[in-house]
Amino acid sequence: MKKKSFLSLMLVLMISVLAACGGGGGMPNPNAATGTDTKTDTATDNKTEPAAGTDTGSSNVTLKMFQFKVEIADAMEKLLAEYKKETGVNITIETVGGGADYGAALKAKFASGDEPDIFNNGGYNEAQLWKDRMEDLSDQPWVADLTDNVKDPMTIDGKLYGMPMNIEGYGFLYNKALFEKAGITELPTTLTELRAAAQKLKDAGITPFENGYQEWWVIGQHLVNDAYAKQDDPDKFIADWRAGKTSVADNKIFNEWINLVDLTMEFSNDRPLTTDYNTQMTEFASGMAAMTQQGNWTQVQIDGIDPELQVGVLPMPINDDEKLNDNIFVGVPNNWVVNKNSPNKEEAKKFLNWMVTSETGKKYTVEEFKFIPALKSITYEPDQLGTIAASIQEYVQADKTLGWQWPKLPDGTNQEFGALMQAYVAKKITKEELFKQMDETVLKLAQK
Amino acid sequence: MAGRKRWVNLFMQSVFLGPSLLFFVIVVIIPFFLGMYYSFTDWNGVAITVNWVGARNFAAMFADAKFWTSFWFTIRFTVAVVILTNVIAFALALLLVQPLKSRNLLRTLFFIPNVIGGLLLGFIWQFIFIRGFAAVGKATGLGFFKLEWLGTEATGFWGIVIVFVWQAAGYMMIIYIAGLMNVDRSLIEAAEIDGAGYGQKLRFITLPLVMPAVTVCLFLSMSNAFKMFDLNLALTRGGPFGSTESLALNIYTEAFTNSNYGLGTAKALLFFVIVALVSSLQVWFTKRREVQS
Repeated sequence: MKKKSFLSLMLVLMISVLAACGGGGGMPNPNAATGTDTKTDTATDNKTEPAAGTDTGSSNVTLKMFQFKVEIADAMEKLLAEYKKETGVNITIETVGGGADYGAALKAKFASGDEPDIFNNGGYNEAQLWKDRMEDLSDQPWVADLTDNVKDPMTIDGKLYGMPMNIEGYGFLYNKALFEKAGITELPTTLTELRAAAQKLKDAGITPFENGYQEWWVIGQHLVNDAYAKQDDPDKFIADWRAGKTSVADNKIFNEWINLVDLTMEFSNDRPLTTDYNTQMTEFASGMAAMTQQGNWTQVQIDGIDPELQVGVLPMPINDDEKLNDNIFVGVPNNWVVNKNSPNKEEAKKFLNWMVTSETGKKYTVEEFKFIPALKSITYEPDQLGTIAASIQEYVQADKTLGWQWPKLPDGTNQEFGALMQAYVAKKITKEELFKQMDETVLKLAQK
Repeated sequence: MAGRKRWVNLFMQSVFLGPSLLFFVIVVIIPFFLGMYYSFTDWNGVAITVNWVGARNFAAMFADAKFWTSFWFTIRFTVAVVILTNVIAFALALLLVQPLKSRNLLRTLFFIPNVIGGLLLGFIWQFIFIRGFAAVGKATGLGFFKLEWLGTEATGFWGIVIVFVWQAAGYMMIIYIAGLMNVDRSLIEAAEIDGAGYGQKLRFITLPLVMPAVTVCLFLSMSNAFKMFDLNLALTRGGPFGSTESLALNIYTEAFTNSNYGLGTAKALLFFVIVALVSSLQVWFTKRREVQS
């Protein structure tokens, strides 16, 4: 008898274990932060949800947002709280930073069935990859307000699948005070002038370049883009390259561009291959080097170290053709997209629209996110965004910009190029080997 | 009556083993066979359509030079790590079974690295190698610290080895300590009476008797070294210039960065076969050397 009751107790226990598992994966429960994922709970718990029970019930929808821009994570929480106040719609946000990691995490989310309603997409190649999962946003009210060219990355067969997050630009950031100290009055726009400026800086005892070459995206993506973007027809070049119809070994632009790479190494900081993004920005912002290849997204970090630092953007010249070289690289880093299979996709679209059309949303875009907006309807003063954005704005207005071409390359190419470029600057492989391996990498990754 | 007892036994077994078996099937067996299926497809990890491509992924895998570079790195790494971890762990264990006052404290200290996750450890050590070592090098002028840590192939390799050994040695040490404590004192005393020196006692009495612990430690360190991923990702991310990319990281990159899920699972399948083969060979081999006291 005793044994029997023991057995039935065990049975009950087992069933309860099973039942508990079954319940976890089922209904999406609003307000309940599921313990399994790394939600940024700090703000959700403290601010956005004063009391989970007091939800007015005006809307039982909870949207899930999964985004990659770490810099705006905190401000985004605040914006979502404002949205909840205005509409009653609750949006939870999760942030996973970094290019490849975000992609992997997003794939894992979709594979596990925990699909977000709103997520990010980098466009071009990535847009092709996620095409099956994205809602067509061509009919949205904000589409008409988009600035020129920002639609391209997310346009497939004439349909727009994403809302550009913002516009970003990069080149060589330079420290105006250090340039002055070295006696550089004319800003360099050609390779010869850049070399002369670097020499002047070196003579003045200032490290000319702070190279963050530990980061694959600095060396393998942004730096190499200089060579794609200066082709006569970048689209045709990349298409031919992927098809094996052209090689960089006999490409004039690539052969000139490599001189710029050599120049940055000749006048480099110590140990560029173990300088990561953080070190790069810390050393640049504290005046340890005069130039660094980065963009306006670094403003937040720079402000954290020296808010008074005067920074401008220089082009990245590969030869002495002034017209070709006096350009910086401007593009759309990422886009908001809506999950096509989400039951709440209409709510998700409403939120995206609110984010760029409401006064609150506009204010956050400029003042909190420090974004250069991708919509004409969002107006701002250049100094609201910091000195780098102001400098980029000048290039944009003078039409001295070139595009971001790397998203058009096959998946994984940019990471592989990072490794190849590291081997080149460490003198493990020659220029010829570098070019040959670049060709091979693109060909290999292009064939699926 | 006997039939009823058998039934009860069966029931008891399913109550106790059922839940864990169920979870094992859900999180290991099913994904394993799904992975097998995907290795014959061109799935990119996202698309809704999945096409059967036969053995194409396996052909691509054998033609992939980077995969074999990673393979070679993983083998070199495993050899270095297995030897160093076990030698150090055994030495520590020998030291810490002596009647030292700080024995328990030291055991805890050596074990601590094990409770820190590999990712975190990787980032901490990255800082130590790049910033810490550089600062020490500047202050002391010692050549060892002045190397460009993690910036060259050799320092990248040894950097991971150092951290891995540092982390794993404490765990293996505990297993060795347990083994050493179980060695029958009377055998050692008998050897002493027969006039055996320290080295002889260690070699002919202690070592054969702790062979079960050696089997376990070799198995654990070998399979862990083979499967190393988080430390690799956090510490070097395969760099500099892809020279420290482990097999696991190569598979991850293939599946998630290159969006070749099919090829990634094909690699993972081969990876599984190799790990299983090497581990069972090693266990079979060391098992034969175990003795009974």
